[in-house]
Amino acid sequence: MRAMWLEIRDELVGILREPTALFFSVLMPVGFFTFFVAMFGEAWENAGTAMIVPFGTFGVLAVVLMNPGIGMADAHQRGWLRVKRVSGIPLWMTIAAKVIASIPYAVAVLAAITASAVFVGDMRFDAGEVAVVFAVLVLGVLPFAFFSVAIGSRVGANAAAAILNAILMPSAIVSGLWFPYEMLPEAIARIGSVLPTYHLARLAMAPVDGGAWLGHLLVLAATAAVGAMVATMAYRSARL
Amino acid sequence: MRSKRGLRHDRAMAIIEVRDLTKRYGGRAVVDEVTFSVEEGEIFAILGPNGAGKTTTVEMIGGLRRPDGGSVRVMGLDPIADPRRTKEILGMQLQESQFADRIRVGEALELFSSFYPSPVPWRQLMEELGLSEQERTLFSRLSGGQRQRLSIATALVGSPKIAVLDELTTGLDPKARRDTWELIEALRDRGVTIVLVTHFMEEAERLADRVAVIDRGRLVALDTPRGLISSTASRQVMRFRPGTPLDPDDLRDLAEVETVTDEGGTLTVTGSEGLVYAVTSLLARRQVVAHELRVDTATLDDAFLALTGREPETEETER
Repeated sequence: MRAMWLEIRDELVGILREPTALFFSVLMPVGFFTFFVAMFGEAWENAGTAMIVPFGTFGVLAVVLMNPGIGMADAHQRGWLRVKRVSGIPLWMTIAAKVIASIPYAVAVLAAITASAVFVGDMRFDAGEVAVVFAVLVLGVLPFAFFSVAIGSRVGANAAAAILNAILMPSAIVSGLWFPYEMLPEAIARIGSVLPTYHLARLAMAPVDGGAWLGHLLVLAATAAVGAMVATMAYRSARL
Repeated sequence: MRSKRGLRHDRAMAIIEVRDLTKRYGGRAVVDEVTFSVEEGEIFAILGPNGAGKTTTVEMIGGLRRPDGGSVRVMGLDPIADPRRTKEILGMQLQESQFADRIRVGEALELFSSFYPSPVPWRQLMEELGLSEQERTLFSRLSGGQRQRLSIATALVGSPKIAVLDELTTGLDPKARRDTWELIEALRDRGVTIVLVTHFMEEAERLADRVAVIDRGRLVALDTPRGLISSTASRQVMRFRPGTPLDPDDLRDLAEVETVTDEGGTLTVTGSEGLVYAVTSLLARRQVVAHELRVDTATLDDAFLALTGREPETEETER
């Protein structure tokens, strides 16, 4: 347990000592959210409320899908992973620490988007609803960190950023995170409905609209299981 | 056969056994059926030029790479099948390893010590390696010598029985290099078996009890430094600058000549007994004056040249 805590501490301290990545990771999704609310917010009531779940989902996905993988790729390139691999640390501990260390990113982006919703949009949530939505998003996005780590184990930092962006943007669009899902063409909506990103958004919306949640939770649980396996295999077989 | 410490190699216990070890990339064997054993308590050097397969060999010993053929046993353990137990007894410092810039020395040691069941107290290790004053220094702010000492520290913090040190002194200034040599000798005196990967002849000659010479993936010789040099004792080495142009092939045609290399106009000729007479006779016939003529006894550099046909790398060639 002590080794796990120190490994997580190492990751968190890295974020604090190099906060630039955190800042700019949060800036993009908050920027998009503020722009969309400002542009289209007057079109309906409670624009901040209406958009916070999909944009909050996009925000946590953006930071959690990108940062662990880019960090892993950077550690891979500079040889830090090599130092760890020849030491006594179990593989799973390095991966788990990277995944857990993505939580501050998710919390930061949700806090920033909420602040933006309060000031730019018309925020109508109660505290209990906000807390549940945040908890769902922060925990529900962690499976995606495994895939990010898997990609970062195999490629350089530049390639990791490009690949993860190529996954993030289309997934976000077809899952209804940028435009209401109901407005998407049927064929695209059908593609989106099988993606874990869609199920994360639906799970986060469930506390707000009272919709079904169990099926979405099971999809994310399966995503986590597959992601953990893929990350372990990718890291174990990476040429360090 | 006795080593520097008087170990009898026919009786000492093998702590690492490597048999027909092979690794291929793209169909090419970068390590080709290498066989050797490392005995407990010795400094075992793996010597060869860059790209010879030395690092790949020790990476397979440490379980970082899976062999394509042959076997490795570290105190009877298979590093691939049993990585956790292997890493408890084998500490590794590999080249091309870098710590994260934003980690402090003390944090790194505390982190790595937590990975092992019976670590050395990391503050004590930090003090022994002269890093106490750098406890709160970021890795990015350490000098080259300090970084190498931190690498050694993280390799030793698990209290291993074996330490693999890969190109540890590459890039260090001469004083830092010699300080590191003293550190390695002190480790050996404490009972740690050391596998030292190096391409510096002087380092192998100074530190190693035995040397395995690897070239192009193959083991070409395995002996004590004195033994390797003795095998070339009957060889002679001549160096001179010919006063008028001389075709090296004319020298190679002599029966006593084994190798001829030309470095910027200076010829180095190695050969067997009778070399000096044969070469000077040829020069006399061709009326070539030999300037700056030197006849040397064999060194480990010459042994390497004789074994591989290539000049060894030095600090100067590295720069």
